[in-house]
Amino acid sequence: MLEVKNLTKRFGSQEVLKGISLAISEGEILFVLGRSGTGKSVLLKNIVGLLKPESGQILLEGREISKLSEEEYFEVRKMCGMVFQHPALFDSLTVYENVAFGLRRHFPGMTPEEVKKRVTECLDLVHLEGVEDKLPPQISYGMQKRVSLARTIAVEPRYLLFDEPTTGLDPVTTNAINRLISELSRKLNTTSIVVSHDMHCALEIADRIAVLDQGQLIALGTPSELLKSQVPLVKDFLAEITEEDRSRWLS
Amino acid sequence: MILGERLQSKAVLWPFEYLGGELIKVSTTLSRFFDYLSEMLITLMTPPFRFKEFVTQLYLIGYKSTPVILFSISFAATATILEYAFHMKLVIQTAALVPGFAALLVFRELGPVITAFLLTSKVGAGMNAELGTMQITEQVDALKLLSVDPMRYLVVPRFVATILSSVVIVIFADATCLFFEMVMSVRHLDYSWEGFLTAMNQFTQFKDFYLGLVKAAVFGAVIPTIACFYGFNTQPGAEGVGRSTTQSVVSNAVSIIIMDFILTYLFSYLY
Ligand SMILES: Nc1ncnc2c1ncn2[C@@H]1O[C@H](COP(=O)(O)OP(=O)(O)OP(=O)(O)O)[C@@H](O)[C@H]1O
Ligand SMILES: [Mg+2]
Repeated sequence: MLEVKNLTKRFGSQEVLKGISLAISEGEILFVLGRSGTGKSVLLKNIVGLLKPESGQILLEGREISKLSEEEYFEVRKMCGMVFQHPALFDSLTVYENVAFGLRRHFPGMTPEEVKKRVTECLDLVHLEGVEDKLPPQISYGMQKRVSLARTIAVEPRYLLFDEPTTGLDPVTTNAINRLISELSRKLNTTSIVVSHDMHCALEIADRIAVLDQGQLIALGTPSELLKSQVPLVKDFLAEITEEDRSRWLS
Repeated sequence: MILGERLQSKAVLWPFEYLGGELIKVSTTLSRFFDYLSEMLITLMTPPFRFKEFVTQLYLIGYKSTPVILFSISFAATATILEYAFHMKLVIQTAALVPGFAALLVFRELGPVITAFLLTSKVGAGMNAELGTMQITEQVDALKLLSVDPMRYLVVPRFVATILSSVVIVIFADATCLFFEMVMSVRHLDYSWEGFLTAMNQFTQFKDFYLGLVKAAVFGAVIPTIACFYGFNTQPGAEGVGRSTTQSVVSNAVSIIIMDFILTYLFSYLY
């Protein structure tokens, strides 16, 4: 259970989050939609403590975490994984080392064979093979994003935050990654928050969808609730959905 | 007319606004720096120490920059001896004091200070750009997410490795300088090899040598501290990285000169 209560965040005079409240239950997939620059990434970074909110609370399994020290956060973050909007790979390490990095840290008891097995498994999950020994700058942007995804899921965090995991990827890989997110939640009961611009995929795999606009939550509900919404921006977001799809999801 | 008036009133207010703004900027930067410094020192003094990272940095900082530093500093040594010879011959009509004075200058100033400047441009700038890039591409955030403390993983190994490298490089630099000064003296000032050493020994003490190493250690601590601080505070974009590197190199150069003055002043009480 992850709860965000009345969260506000400002940078100088710019108020980016203006009182966000959300609750996500175990195993749920929440999609966050919103225009560019509305504070989606800022919201995710506040949840994992990379940014500190001005006011409000973040409760992870009942524990208030927004005022923890950096040291205390390290414990909390063992439960949380985040896939950044940029690939954020460690560019002095090979792809293999990047994925193994977190494993070695979180599970010091793992043997090298176990690490290798897990790394290969995770790279397979994101449809990557034969790039283990390459350095991040030597592979394409889309590949880097997938390595970054593999690195995050390798340690099997119970809470997963994805910041636009499929933006800039081809349709085949996009589908594979969306399926992966959905499987993680069904099989391992992972709780996920996914920031995305992909409306179809949101309707497909989300349990609930939140729409953020100018630092405020303007809609929150299941896909079918959202389809019935009368909020103008939400309707704009749904404009690309055809009547056919609409009736399919509503039924 | 209106523009003129606005410019006028702006010109009156401008210095105060400017000064006030700069003052606020400097004081917030300083307070951030001291927060960072105290955090770094605490991390340094608490286990665990990342030995593997330390060894990697030692290789990158120490081993990789030694040749270029020794190469450049040999020219400085040669120039020094020529200068001294010129002055001495002009004033006291003999080159008898040249080896002693030149060696003193090498141990006390040239060795540590020139090495520090070269380390600033070779190692400090690189360290700053590397950390700056990591900062703006969210690699630092990714480290934190994997429960790795960037201070412990990135800064402390660089800090310790630069101190150690600086001291060791200065030992080699001192030796290189002396060698080239000896060669110059033998060739141009009619000294024999032994004659140079005897003349040098009359003036230099072991203290001169190791106090120079103390300077080297202090400079070696200043360089990574400032470089990493600006690295973590890099703003996004190529321009941000460029600005951060410039700030880091300038602050390092200024700090080294000031620290050199302070240390020289303090050491003068030890003689
Ligand atoms: N570190 C920061 N310092 C200052 N302002 C910031 C910082 N991070 C974000 N902002 C500001 O906060 C606002 C929201 O940024 P955010 O990155 O959360 O947008 P976003 O919703 O993720 O957009 P996108 O879909 O383009 O990724 C932006 O106006 C941005 O300028
Ligand atoms: Mg974003």
